[in-house]
Amino acid sequence: MSYSETLEQALIVVRQQAVLMQKCIQQRKLMDALKHASMMLTELRKPDLSPKQYYELYIMVFDSLSLLSSYLTDNHPKIHHLADLYELVQYAGNVVPRLYLMITVGTSYLKCTDSPREEILKDMIEMCRGVQNPMRGLFLRYYLSQRTKQLLPDNAIEFNSNFVINNFIEMNKLWVRLQHQGPLKEREQRTKERKELQILIGSQLVRLSQIVDDNLVIYKDNMLPVILEQVVQCRDVVSQEYLLDVVCQVFPDEFHLSTLDSLLGSTLHMNPDVSINKNVLTLIDRLNGYIDRKEQEQEQDTIQGNSNLFEVFWNYLKTLNEERPDLSLHQFIPLVESIMALSLRWYPDNLSNLNILYGFTAQKCRDYGRAIPQNAEYLFANLLILQNFRHVNRSAALFYNIISQCDAFRELLSLQNMVLQKNIIDTLLDILLSASRENEILFVIDSKASLEKLLSVMEPLIRFRVTSTTRRFSNDALGLSDDLTEDEEGNSSWVLDPSQEKLAQFCHLSLRLLPIECKQYLNVENQVEYLLLLRNWYYRGDKNIKYTYPAIISNFWKLIRKSYLLKTRQKLSRKTENDYSNMIKQLFKYASRCINDLFNVCGSSVIDTVYKLNIQSASLADQLSIGEIAYDFFSQAFTVFEESLSDLKTQFQALVYMIQSLQKTRSLYQENYYDTLIVRCTLHGSRLLRKQDQCRAVYLCSHLWWATEIAVIGEEEGTTADFYREGKRVLECLQRSLRVADSTMDNIQSCQLMVEILNRCLYYFIHGDEHDTHVSVKYINGLIELIKTNLRSLKLEEQIPEQQQSTTRLQDLHIDGQDSTELSSRKKFVMGLDGTYIEIPRTNGSPASISNKLNSMYINEMIYIPLEHFDRTCEYIVNQREIDDRFKVIVV
Amino acid sequence: MLVLALSDAHIPDRAIDLPSKFKKLLGVSNKISQVILLGNCTKSYEFLKFVNEVSSNVVIVRGEYDNGLLPVSKHSRARESIPINTVVRQGAFKIGCCSGYTVVPKNDPLSLLALARQLDVDILLWGGTHNVEAFTLEGKFFVNPGSCTGAFNTDWPFSTEDEDKQDETEGMQNQDEETDQTAEIGQQQEKEEKDQKNMQDQNQDQNQENQTHEKGNDEEINRDQGQNKSEEEGKEPVEDDLELSELDIDGSNTPSFCLLDIQSSTCTLYIYIYIDGEVKVDKVVYQKED
Repeated sequence: MSYSETLEQALIVVRQQAVLMQKCIQQRKLMDALKHASMMLTELRKPDLSPKQYYELYIMVFDSLSLLSSYLTDNHPKIHHLADLYELVQYAGNVVPRLYLMITVGTSYLKCTDSPREEILKDMIEMCRGVQNPMRGLFLRYYLSQRTKQLLPDNAIEFNSNFVINNFIEMNKLWVRLQHQGPLKEREQRTKERKELQILIGSQLVRLSQIVDDNLVIYKDNMLPVILEQVVQCRDVVSQEYLLDVVCQVFPDEFHLSTLDSLLGSTLHMNPDVSINKNVLTLIDRLNGYIDRKEQEQEQDTIQGNSNLFEVFWNYLKTLNEERPDLSLHQFIPLVESIMALSLRWYPDNLSNLNILYGFTAQKCRDYGRAIPQNAEYLFANLLILQNFRHVNRSAALFYNIISQCDAFRELLSLQNMVLQKNIIDTLLDILLSASRENEILFVIDSKASLEKLLSVMEPLIRFRVTSTTRRFSNDALGLSDDLTEDEEGNSSWVLDPSQEKLAQFCHLSLRLLPIECKQYLNVENQVEYLLLLRNWYYRGDKNIKYTYPAIISNFWKLIRKSYLLKTRQKLSRKTENDYSNMIKQLFKYASRCINDLFNVCGSSVIDTVYKLNIQSASLADQLSIGEIAYDFFSQAFTVFEESLSDLKTQFQALVYMIQSLQKTRSLYQENYYDTLIVRCTLHGSRLLRKQDQCRAVYLCSHLWWATEIAVIGEEEGTTADFYREGKRVLECLQRSLRVADSTMDNIQSCQLMVEILNRCLYYFIHGDEHDTHVSVKYINGLIELIKTNLRSLKLEEQIPEQQQSTTRLQDLHIDGQDSTELSSRKKFVMGLDGTYIEIPRTNGSPASISNKLNSMYINEMIYIPLEHFDRTCEYIVNQREIDDRFKVIVV
Repeated sequence: MLVLALSDAHIPDRAIDLPSKFKKLLGVSNKISQVILLGNCTKSYEFLKFVNEVSSNVVIVRGEYDNGLLPVSKHSRARESIPINTVVRQGAFKIGCCSGYTVVPKNDPLSLLALARQLDVDILLWGGTHNVEAFTLEGKFFVNPGSCTGAFNTDWPFSTEDEDKQDETEGMQNQDEETDQTAEIGQQQEKEEKDQKNMQDQNQDQNQENQTHEKGNDEEINRDQGQNKSEEEGKEPVEDDLELSELDIDGSNTPSFCLLDIQSSTCTLYIYIYIDGEVKVDKVVYQKED
């Protein structure tokens, strides 16, 4: 008998012979049936089949033999005796059909109660040695395994496990041998085929796990040592990786916990090419999954009972490190990572384990000798930010605890390259800052030492300078990253820096996470100490402090207001009250020091900020009725203005802000502070370089002599009697600004300024009687006359003919009928508070175009700025007549 | 047409971030066609990125801590300056924008009115006070969205006791107040039509409210003094254990922002306020006069 040429033919033969066999069974012609079965089985001798093809044949054969098997069992011993048949099939010609028939008959016999089970089983497994071709042998043994599945003797766990182990060992040998068949160049093909067959061998281990059930002793003493011995001895990479993985998967977690030493020990003796970390990872995953399940079942005891789990893995790691110096970082570090995950899962409170691992990895880093290759950087990053830890809640609190308890964390971090360090710290800050979003206190920075540890971890970021080589910022939709050189930076443009921004935010966060004392003064004191610590660390950032110091300063401000409220809203002992007073003074000094540092370190790029920080510190002091300190800060602001603020545009808005702030002060009336400051302010206003700026600054200065109500402190117009008001000076300012307006050469600007002054006059007119404000009807009427005259002259500048010509010409040409209305509707401009020309957009949502300079292209349109502004003002006057009779005497 | 007005974020100098509920609210819809930043909003990369995701049409005016020029962008090397004032057009409205730090006296209604007149606008948006307000004056609509982060404010501080009072009056007067913070932006548009007839009343309400607010303050202060007296008489000196709210220390109102829904000559203003972890929405309608 011989097998078919092709797979197709073979399949046909199997099908035909199966049908014939069935017919014979129906006709109870057993001998003929066996003959057909044998012919069918001959096809399984066919070489050169791929595992998939062979499997296809096998399945067909298996099904047909099942029918035969039932027949055999059903008719024993009435028609035939299976012991006889077992002898009979030994005479089949070829070994493969013979053994299949033998197993079919043997296992049919096993189903009968009168059979000598153990003998048959022993015989069958012994006979299987007859097939040494790997693929055929594997399938034959798989057949044996499938057929005997339900038929192993009861209560014979030892016998059964030996039977299956025996089969497993032989199958593995065949499987390994398959690798070495055929020409060397087909090695990879072989490996691929072997992986397709792996399930056959794996199924034996599944069988074993079913047999052993929960009998740990047998598993530990009889089963696992034999399995591992086979795995180690075969020295085959595919086999070792696969089988160890299956062992980890199919046996219960409790078994692994009791046999960790042998499991891990075996990995030390594996083929060097085996990626041990995969197996250890699987094992740790299992153990972490185990604790999850136990927690769900609320069996806490088991967890506590295994307190040396980390020790086992740690010892293993050390041994591995000594015995396998050849392991690459890519193999080694993930191992450390998974042990870290294990420790965090099993012993979440014991962070000293992590410290040990960080220290160990840092040593590994140093031992590496050279720079860490770029493709391995992420391994260390993963360790530091716990990137892949599914079983661990990567909370802000966890990272706080790690950083404050694991000194080696920082050690390992500092061994990475600069950019990587920065990225890691960025991520850490993101996680820490996420705590602020929850709006509840998730952890407490328990001491200055802990804060110091956090800051020392962040130090590389604090000091990080963007240079051309390290510039790797994301450049996304906004494109907000920079490529500026230092000198450009000085020129009042701001370069956004997401990392420094986080440091500033961290400052706010950390002050919220202090331990709480019962005495508020102690809380304030603690916050001050923390804040000073932050300041000192951030100072190391050199020019970076322009990003972080404003946050420090605003926190000093907050503490100032807090101290003040605590002092004034409680009835305190004199001592505590004094303590608060001193604290407030001290806090102002700290704030002042920060502002000066900012100025000294960052220079011209932050000058406007420094100026305004001084003004706001002054406002704050003023609200606390500390006139002296307020005066000092205002003076400081003036010094900055005089010595360093040179840019025209910056000067104007800076001075306006000074006017606004001074106008709201209340504590400077002592010692002539207020007079000194407002005179100085007005003087600066009148010295501004551009006439229009001068004019605007001076008319705004008029408000410095006209305090208005601040409702939140109980002032009310009409009730409060002691407003600082000096109408004569108000009028002086308005007059002086009018002179400047009049002498402005640009006609449009000059007229516009006058209309603006008119509006100021109306402000005062509404506010008080003429003899208070000195802004009289006569004065206003005179101003209106002057404006009218000037506007008439301005109107003459309009170039009407040309405009009309161009319009008519276009219309004549019939270029576009629809657009002609568009063309005739002129552009419309207004003027901003700072004298900029704002072109009002014509379409919804589009931005206005804003310019500092007059564009003579649109001179006609711009003429309408003061004209229309004046019209609107007159309309306002007319409307006011309805509610205020005094307006009736204003002539428009 | 929805226009979002944000002001005084002061990130990172004084605040970490917007309340996450605000971000959620603004992040989900792409219905907002324009964002107006009214000062002190340009120092945070994350914040600007967020704003750009809300709408790519962003209008910025300069606050006291904004630099004269926009933060530098790699794509447009042209140095764009941040204006003190600007004007945008939406529907039948011209909207003036100003951070308020160049308005003298600060926050003075007459000064703001003069500015609105100078810019020839119907609606004036301003910021810098960290206190959300909306009122009509001389037929013009004045809106201050407050600080979107509730950042620390160096102006004369409000006290929380005043705020409580203010909340009460608001609660009574605005009957169509919506406390459902999940209400999606844009949904409110549907309700707008029914409310239009109430518009005039509401405008008046809003004015009255401002007045009551002021009165409320006075009463509050009087009451305060009363309390102090009784304490002095009766009680032992208290221990140094007073709990202060962040609001008191920040001297700022709670985080808030405004959304203007503009349909031709009607502007429906939604005021979003973040109180005790919830978002409260108030609504005011302003109709342009002919």
